[in-house]
Amino acid sequence: MTQASNTAMLAPPPRRRGWLPAGLGPATPALVLLTLFFVVPVVSLLLRSVLEPSPGLGNYAELLGSSTYLRVFLNTFLVSGLVTTVSLLIGFPVAWTLAIMPGRWARIVFAILLLSMWTNLLARTYAWMVLLQRTGIVNKTLINLGLIDQPLTLVNNLVGVTIGMVYIMLPFVILPLYGVIRRIDPSILQAAALCGATKGQALRRILLPLAAPGMAAGGLMVFVMSLGYFVTPALLGGTNNMMLAELIAQFVQSLVNWGMGSAAAFVLLVATLALYAVQLRLFGTSQMGGR
Amino acid sequence: MTAPYLHIRGIRKDYGSVTAVENVDLEIRRGEFMTFLGPSGSGKSTTLYILAGFQDPTAGDILLEGKSLLQTPSHLRQIGMVFQRYTLFPHLTVAENIGFPLKVRRKGRAEIDAKVRDMLRLVRLEGFEDRKPADMSGGQQQRVALARALAYDPPVLLMDEPLSALDKKLREEIQVEIRRIHQETEVTILYVTHDQEEALRLSDRIAVFSKGVIDQVGTGPELYANPATRFVAEFIGDSDFLTCSVLSSDGRTADVRLGSDFVVPGVPVHGGGGGRSAGALLLRPERISLHRHQPAEAGTLPVTVGGLTFLGSNVHVAATTGWGEPVAVRLPFGHGAIEGLSRGDTVWLGFDPRATHVFC
Amino acid sequence: MLLSFERLGWWKWVLVAITGLVTAFLLLPILFIAALSFGSSQWLIFPPPSWTLKWYREFFADPRWLESAWTSLQIAALVTLFSVGIGLCASFALVRGKFRGRETLKAFFLTPMILPVVVLAVALYAFFLRLGLNGTVTGFVLAHLVVALPFSVLAITNALEGFDKSIEDAAVLCGASPLEAKFRVTLPAIGHGLFSAAIFSFLTSWDEVVLAIFMASPTLQTLPVRIWTTLRQDLTPVIASASTLLVLLTILLMLLVALVRKGFKS
Repeated sequence: MTQASNTAMLAPPPRRRGWLPAGLGPATPALVLLTLFFVVPVVSLLLRSVLEPSPGLGNYAELLGSSTYLRVFLNTFLVSGLVTTVSLLIGFPVAWTLAIMPGRWARIVFAILLLSMWTNLLARTYAWMVLLQRTGIVNKTLINLGLIDQPLTLVNNLVGVTIGMVYIMLPFVILPLYGVIRRIDPSILQAAALCGATKGQALRRILLPLAAPGMAAGGLMVFVMSLGYFVTPALLGGTNNMMLAELIAQFVQSLVNWGMGSAAAFVLLVATLALYAVQLRLFGTSQMGGR
Repeated sequence: MTAPYLHIRGIRKDYGSVTAVENVDLEIRRGEFMTFLGPSGSGKSTTLYILAGFQDPTAGDILLEGKSLLQTPSHLRQIGMVFQRYTLFPHLTVAENIGFPLKVRRKGRAEIDAKVRDMLRLVRLEGFEDRKPADMSGGQQQRVALARALAYDPPVLLMDEPLSALDKKLREEIQVEIRRIHQETEVTILYVTHDQEEALRLSDRIAVFSKGVIDQVGTGPELYANPATRFVAEFIGDSDFLTCSVLSSDGRTADVRLGSDFVVPGVPVHGGGGGRSAGALLLRPERISLHRHQPAEAGTLPVTVGGLTFLGSNVHVAATTGWGEPVAVRLPFGHGAIEGLSRGDTVWLGFDPRATHVFC
Repeated sequence: MLLSFERLGWWKWVLVAITGLVTAFLLLPILFIAALSFGSSQWLIFPPPSWTLKWYREFFADPRWLESAWTSLQIAALVTLFSVGIGLCASFALVRGKFRGRETLKAFFLTPMILPVVVLAVALYAFFLRLGLNGTVTGFVLAHLVVALPFSVLAITNALEGFDKSIEDAAVLCGASPLEAKFRVTLPAIGHGLFSAAIFSFLTSWDEVVLAIFMASPTLQTLPVRIWTTLRQDLTPVIASASTLLVLLTILLMLLVALVRKGFKS
């Protein structure tokens, strides 16, 4: 700009327009916040896994070498897989029905779905603790129906965790699946029928494949969320099937073993990010989100 | 000669190594309706955005009554603009939308109300004051946008393809409205469109944009009768082009040869130097006469009829020259020469060489 | 035919039955808790021997419950304020910015949402130990802000992307300064996005358990922390009454959202 311009045709220097320039500026507060209170704490935590109690990979060797911890990993994947499968099996018919049922009824189902989703997590988990206890209503109903003689143990084990977590995860399967099925053109299925496909064939060969991206996206999201879940497993699960998040909390809170705690956190983090990368690769950022 | 009201002087705009517009020079009179016509990407919208102040030119200047506008930020330029999309403020009523420019100028309530009433009357939307934009049709929304742009009596009104989102019938209706409003307000309008019919219908003068430069500026009839480039000829009106070789040229008119031996003398010539060269001869399909038998006078071109297409008031005759080039002729419906005409017939085409053009 | 409710034949009834059962599965726990909160049984026997308001009285008589609710409210309000403000600025940069790597930056802003919250909780707990922020309102607000911000960014960028920039340009040509145009035109037009951001931020903080468990001190607890510590001891019906109050709050919020959405539409 200091260059002398002797041509009148030369344009004036570009003006900066407005308080929100065409740049990074306004993102600064968010950047500072997340750097200071997200990146720095997480990175320094992860560093402790290789620095404490002594530098090296000792924590990881212990974590991956011991059968106790391996059982926790296994159980974490088992519960997440189970929750994902059940949620998909139940969620698909519901999403399908929601996509085609008369609007008035669909609105009621939606309202209930949202109510359950928005209700405080602890309130929902508490409800299942009460319902599933030995003297709880589920056992009572089953006994009254004559299906069982003795009350079943439904809490502090795999059954309790699965029921409680499916309850929480269902909306995360139903809502994206609903969106995907809603976007399928009904005339495609009419065409399938005209081509001679029976309902079963149309379901297997047309509807399910078309809904598959939604199933994969929703399922992956539920799986990732389940991997790191803390509250529900802690309250409804038993000591025999501890999950990874509880293990991390226990290392830090009860055992004050920061090295092991952060090593376990790192394992969870890597698993989550890897699966998330898969999801991003397959579906882009659009499927991200949901509370 | 007096200075022009609005002077666009040598505007150039580069995006990195790409030049979007180059050397755009235009002088616009007060109260003139000037249209920028051209295909998308020809630089007409870029020029408009530079006028609005949303983009800075790489070189050149914009002078309004002799004073440069470039240092004035958009909101102080006082220029009115109607956009391609309706751009009404969705949360405000029609009256609040139209009153917005006056409100940000801190005008009094009574003044705003009076102006809003005037503007609603101008665009014929009395009674719509309290509607929200979402409750109006596209045509109505665009009229509100027009009223809002005129509410502060801007010296210049920019319109960026304002009718492109509307269907044909509505478009023609609003074109009539825009003409009336232009006559009533005497505002200077710069109008961007890619629709030649719209340009011809509305404008006092048209600037034809092609690949970032203005090919020609003139009234509709001027552009039609005297296109400066092949692009202008193609863009305004219908056209037939026949390849020809220039036999001799004095820079203004030329003798050209079609096929192997059909010579057309005294054709206005554009571009190219003197001497022999290849060119394209422009014929207007509606200015060609069609003869069923070879006329006595020379200078008619024998062609073979390929087919007839009925287009309402016109009939379109597709034909092929002896050396295989297509040529189209347009005749009014019911014209005697096409009665009983069928595919494969030989007919003779007549035209006035002075009404044709050759582009080298 | 599979996407036409009327032409499904008997399949229709299977689907309706499944959906009915799942809906009941989603709704019944909430209803039972509401019913049990009025039951007289200490052991939450259903149907309750008699009805009572005892548990609600106990809830409101215990200052610790009310204090923790008040703490939660303060924290959630602050988080909402900052989350919407910072998220709004960040969204302008993400949507309107011309710099490279905008997509990456957006992905970065959204990562706290996908990171297992327990990892963040442990990390922040360790970090705050050094800064002395555990057990302070500042600590709570910062921790919750990190997880609430992605929701704001998502909701506001969404609204801003759906907002035609030419409308703001039109306001500028009408004579409004760029700042005035943003306040008078852009912000009202993306109001629904700001509102969603506020609701999500508020709920994220108000309902957040895991971070709160780590941040809490005996003297500063949020409502979820209070419920959590009580739950670990026994299943007292006081929690049923607290839960019922929380469900009521949820319903109120949902009604508010529905009303406001309707307002934005008309």
